[in-house]
Amino acid sequence: MEQKGLDFGGGAQPGTTAGPPPRRTLTVSQLTERIQGLLEVDLFDVWVEGEVSNLKAAGSGHWYFSLKDDGAQVRAVVWKTAQRLIRFRPRDGMKVVARGSVRVYPPRGEYQLAVEVLEPLGKGSLQQAFEELKERLQKEGLFDPARKRPLPLLPRRVGIVTSPTGAVIQDFVRVLTGRYANIEVVLYPARVQGPEAAGEIVRGLRSLNRIRSLDVVVLARGGGSLEDLWPFNDEGVARAIAASRIPTISAVGHETDFTIADFVADVRAPTPSAAAERVVQAKDEIAARIDGLARRLVSATDLRMTRVRGRLAGLTSHRVFEAERGRIRGQGQQVEALSRRAARGLLGQMERSQFRLRRCVERLEGFRWDRQVDQRRQAVRRQLERLDGLATNALAGRRGALGGLAGKLASLSPLSVLSRGYALVWDGGGRLVREPGEVEVGDPVRIRVRGGDLGATITGREGS
Amino acid sequence: MTEEAPSFETALKKLDEIVQRLEKGELPLEESLKLYEEGIRLSRLCHAKLDEAQGRIEMLIKDARGDLALDEEGKPKRVPFRQS
Repeated sequence: MEQKGLDFGGGAQPGTTAGPPPRRTLTVSQLTERIQGLLEVDLFDVWVEGEVSNLKAAGSGHWYFSLKDDGAQVRAVVWKTAQRLIRFRPRDGMKVVARGSVRVYPPRGEYQLAVEVLEPLGKGSLQQAFEELKERLQKEGLFDPARKRPLPLLPRRVGIVTSPTGAVIQDFVRVLTGRYANIEVVLYPARVQGPEAAGEIVRGLRSLNRIRSLDVVVLARGGGSLEDLWPFNDEGVARAIAASRIPTISAVGHETDFTIADFVADVRAPTPSAAAERVVQAKDEIAARIDGLARRLVSATDLRMTRVRGRLAGLTSHRVFEAERGRIRGQGQQVEALSRRAARGLLGQMERSQFRLRRCVERLEGFRWDRQVDQRRQAVRRQLERLDGLATNALAGRRGALGGLAGKLASLSPLSVLSRGYALVWDGGGRLVREPGEVEVGDPVRIRVRGGDLGATITGREGS
Repeated sequence: MTEEAPSFETALKKLDEIVQRLEKGELPLEESLKLYEEGIRLSRLCHAKLDEAQGRIEMLIKDARGDLALDEEGKPKRVPFRQS
């Protein structure tokens, strides 16, 4: 083989011209430019069928992944702006048809398919199993929003099932304790990928449920392929989550990864760090909320008091009270007037009394005592004489009346009976005899008639 | 009185309700003042509860068969989990 320089020019045949052919060296940029020209023109609009792999949602929102088949792979991107038109979420392992254009990225010498249209093509076996289980559990009601329990606002103890090694638990704890230092975390160490993982996760969930006083249980795993995340699509895991007494948070993979665990758990967090954020609000935020409420409490009460004071002031200045005050003022004035008048009246009275007194004194001074006394003495004498006469007359009258009375008294005396011819008989013992049986024949008796007594002896008896 | 201290949630919810009732301002003055005192008490309680729990990161221990290792009281053994 003759050593010749590489001929990029074409055209000239070796040996037919004298001298070496002109060497045409391209710069890297020129080469890339030509590649770009070829690829981007020729492959401006192509349809490609392949399996999605290594799907990543970048922070910018673009999706990066590989399309592959048995023999090759090609990098692909779905710009954020193109995602609106894509009706499904691509996942690792999915067979898709992509339509787009090949783009060269000169700074890295790479090319990729910028996807505009993406459609699922049939289903991979895992994907099919996933869809089947999802549908079945959904029908059973395991994803029912009514089953979702709220997370406690301020959990004290958090259980987590995840790998004890790796970034997930570290991120989780860092974010959690960063937000709220005084929280207790109980880690159930479990494998989170491989054939043993599902069983360990189930045991972890059950074990944590037996620990009293845990407020929330987190299921966490970092990102990975559909196969990596498969334990979280296990039916046993799904049922263990559904059976959890404690509210659950599923935080598996990246934001774009959905697992059955995510659907069953009470809360789905896009990443483990986000799960920590969901577990507990930052302490500052809670404290701020309490303070906010306390401030509102105080200002509401202040406002109320100000209003009450205002109303009170308003009321007391109300015309009803004004009238009342007016009345009271009026009455006060009246009282004052009255007392003034009273004082004036008293003075007048005193003056009048003094005047009368003075007149009395004057009259007294001019009084003729001797004549007055004479007159009084004569009056007394006249009175006495009158009294005397009256007494004499009264006595005479009484005397007459007394005589009459004596006559009446006399007529009632037994003696006056005698004067009418009746007689009284006494026995020898001096006892008045009323019936014949009270004496015997021969008994001496005394008989009183008018004018004196007679002695006699009983000579016979008659009657009973 | 065996009245248990309300949970943080309950206390915060009650505080929230009290604030809203007071902000409506339709209550008799005396009741308002009573609620105000209750609200102040609840906000203090909430703050106290915020600081109450103890921060601690622990890991459960499993034996060779994968069962949880238990202590003498039959409770799962725990070891402090080291943060990197």
